[in-house]
Amino acid sequence: MRADRIASLVMKGALALFIAVWVMVAVIVGAGAWRFVSANGLVGPLLSSRWSPLAAHYGILAFVVGSMAVTGLALVLAAPGVLALSVTGARILRGAPQRAFIQILTLFVAVPSVVYGWWGLSVAVPLIRRLTGTAGFGPLSAGIVLAVMIVPTFSIMALQTLRQVPSSLVEGSLGLGATEDQTLWHVILPASRAGLSQGFLVAVGRALGETIAVQMVIGGQSRVLSLLKPGATLTTQLLTDLALMPARTPGHDALDFMALWLMILMAVLVWLQSRVKGMSRG
Amino acid sequence: MAPDIEVDSLDVWYGQARALKEVTLHLGPGRVLALIGPSGCGKSTFLRVLNRMIDRSPQVRVKGAVRVGAFEVLAGDVDVTALRRTVGMVFQQPNPFPMTIFDNVAYGPRIAGLRQMAKLRQTVEDSLKKAALWDEVRGKLRRSAMSLSGGQQQRLCIARALAVNPQVLLLDEPTASLDPVSTAKIEELIVQFKTHYTMVIVTHNLQQAARVSDAVAFFEHGRLVEMGPTHDIFTAPRERRTEEFLTGRFD
Amino acid sequence: MADGQWRGARPLKSPGQGRAAHKILAGMAVLAVLLLLSVVVPLAAQAVPALNAAFLFGRAPGAIAPEAVNTVTMVAISAAVSFPLALLAGLYRVEFARPSRWTQAFDQFTGTMLSVPSIVVGLVVVDVAVVRWHWPVSTLTGMLALALMNWPLTVALVVEALQSVPGLYRDGSWALGASRWQTVTRLILPLALPQMIEQGGMAVARLMGETAVLIYTAGVNVGPGWALGGPGESLAVHLWLLRTEGVTDLASAQAAATGVVLLGLVFLVLWGSRRLAEWLQDTA
Repeated sequence: MRADRIASLVMKGALALFIAVWVMVAVIVGAGAWRFVSANGLVGPLLSSRWSPLAAHYGILAFVVGSMAVTGLALVLAAPGVLALSVTGARILRGAPQRAFIQILTLFVAVPSVVYGWWGLSVAVPLIRRLTGTAGFGPLSAGIVLAVMIVPTFSIMALQTLRQVPSSLVEGSLGLGATEDQTLWHVILPASRAGLSQGFLVAVGRALGETIAVQMVIGGQSRVLSLLKPGATLTTQLLTDLALMPARTPGHDALDFMALWLMILMAVLVWLQSRVKGMSRG
Repeated sequence: MAPDIEVDSLDVWYGQARALKEVTLHLGPGRVLALIGPSGCGKSTFLRVLNRMIDRSPQVRVKGAVRVGAFEVLAGDVDVTALRRTVGMVFQQPNPFPMTIFDNVAYGPRIAGLRQMAKLRQTVEDSLKKAALWDEVRGKLRRSAMSLSGGQQQRLCIARALAVNPQVLLLDEPTASLDPVSTAKIEELIVQFKTHYTMVIVTHNLQQAARVSDAVAFFEHGRLVEMGPTHDIFTAPRERRTEEFLTGRFD
Repeated sequence: MADGQWRGARPLKSPGQGRAAHKILAGMAVLAVLLLLSVVVPLAAQAVPALNAAFLFGRAPGAIAPEAVNTVTMVAISAAVSFPLALLAGLYRVEFARPSRWTQAFDQFTGTMLSVPSIVVGLVVVDVAVVRWHWPVSTLTGMLALALMNWPLTVALVVEALQSVPGLYRDGSWALGASRWQTVTRLILPLALPQMIEQGGMAVARLMGETAVLIYTAGVNVGPGWALGGPGESLAVHLWLLRTEGVTDLASAQAAATGVVLLGLVFLVLWGSRRLAEWLQDTA
């Protein structure tokens, strides 16, 4: 029992340290963001797209729109691939080929994002350049790179969900004279709603938070949405300006402001995930 | 009209494991056949052959012929969806779809192409009435099927099967997971359905087989040991193995 | 029952009615796999000219050994620091804390922090360690950043692994008079360990490929030898720098070769952790 008490104390300490450190992270970001909001207001910077820190213009609209556009584009482009890979892996392949398929997808989940960025620079950007006659850098290329990057993650989650649909439901449908296709659309996919939404939210989080792969192909200019011209997102702008704006300058506070938005978005996504999980149970 | 079922020296293999050996039997139209026998004796395999649900198992090989009414069940070109619409199935665990009660019953007709709401509504109501569930769920058709009790769920699954106008019903231990009251209701339905549907029921409950069936088939190790009228099987089985199984002196 | 009798029976083929959509999806899946391979195969192809002993192990400028050493040491040490801390916190969360609104809030907190973009972690580490504490941009600062971002992920994976052990086992152990601590160390941890190791492998793989957080913390240079306070460019950062700043043919071949080495390390970690997990599972 003494061991119990000591162990419990040590574990409580580790837990408290974890919470304290990460609360500090949030506080540091929050403090910078607070200074920024006191100086520039909350709404103004969100509605302006003029980003020139040297002239004290801190409009982040272009980055917000850029993040949303790139993420949305990636999800739309990834969706057919995710559907195809997850249905194939869960409902077409069986036995050893199925296991091999899942292992290969898992390997791609672990491929570092900088490698996907490399692919973007070596394959996607030249391709867009040839097809459109532009430089090839921009949100379109970034969306393509992100799509390829989130396909394995999203597909694995979707695959595991589709695999868990009880075979009693499938047989119930087939037993009524439904074809395999009808069973897929009308029973298997609806029954997997919760898990698919979960995977969707994780994919949104990954796309929204990705920095390096996007930075390598988006071009890096503050411009409100043009798919084929260089743009920027919240994360890529953080990366570019981190070196230029030393801590405790107004410019650095603007970065904290953007970082806080990213943290809030992630909290919302995680909250939505917990709601979805509840949905599947109830 | 309810069809008859004719099985002629049926063999089924899973890979190299033989699940059924030279099963031959005939079941007249509108009759109820109970399949009994120890676990793994092949009765579920036999049931799953009748609506080709066995297709879902990998590496199945067959020999012999199975006819359900006009369907040559094992023919290469049989219309499986039409066969399954004719031969309905009710499973061991109630398996309502995670949708509303209405959508569950309307599932089959919709899949078959019925779109008119008025007709759908009529079909759903008729089917629920036939399954003796209508009085309990009227006015709650928009609720999730998951909100029903286990016994109600099983009757919903029966209604769902009836909604596509089957002529044969396969019941795979339909009361195995239910309490005695729900079991009695399902048995009552089976007795009512006699002559309207040809039925094959797998059951571990010998009293149930005695109560609901016209004929009993006893399977062991994939062989049909004995089949005969229910009364005869239970009072004077011809085979020693059947008698040992019925009296519990079975190893 | 003669052998080979089954050959006399005909295979039962499903007529395959109404599988058109499945076939189309399978075709699309083949295309998707080819697309994914188009990430890895050209990388390997372009790496060939640069993949030689001098590049991999040499001491000449441009050789990659220092980056590889930086990557492995930073990842190993930061994982070695964050994993035990996370394990203890996760153990308390699952095995000792009573489920309540607080544990729910804690899970939400952990989930949020593990999905915070790594560049935000970089921002904070630069702000605190480099600017306030005057730590050099170095392997040390890089490790701090990696350990910090690995922490919530590891807590989450520990929690998940512990929760996957059925509660009945705990009841069984307590019913025999075992204390919580005994139950955890003798029963629960061994059962949860394989999953922790496999997921931990994924976490370590993620650290190896991490780029954004390291650029301003560990830096983009290498020193003459490894040092805790020395410059700490990693493989991933090296690849990023070569590919975004280099324009020569040599640079792009070297970038691809760096990518191949990085992928090799990542896959090695995944393979190793999986084998270890399987071995533990088999011996359990």
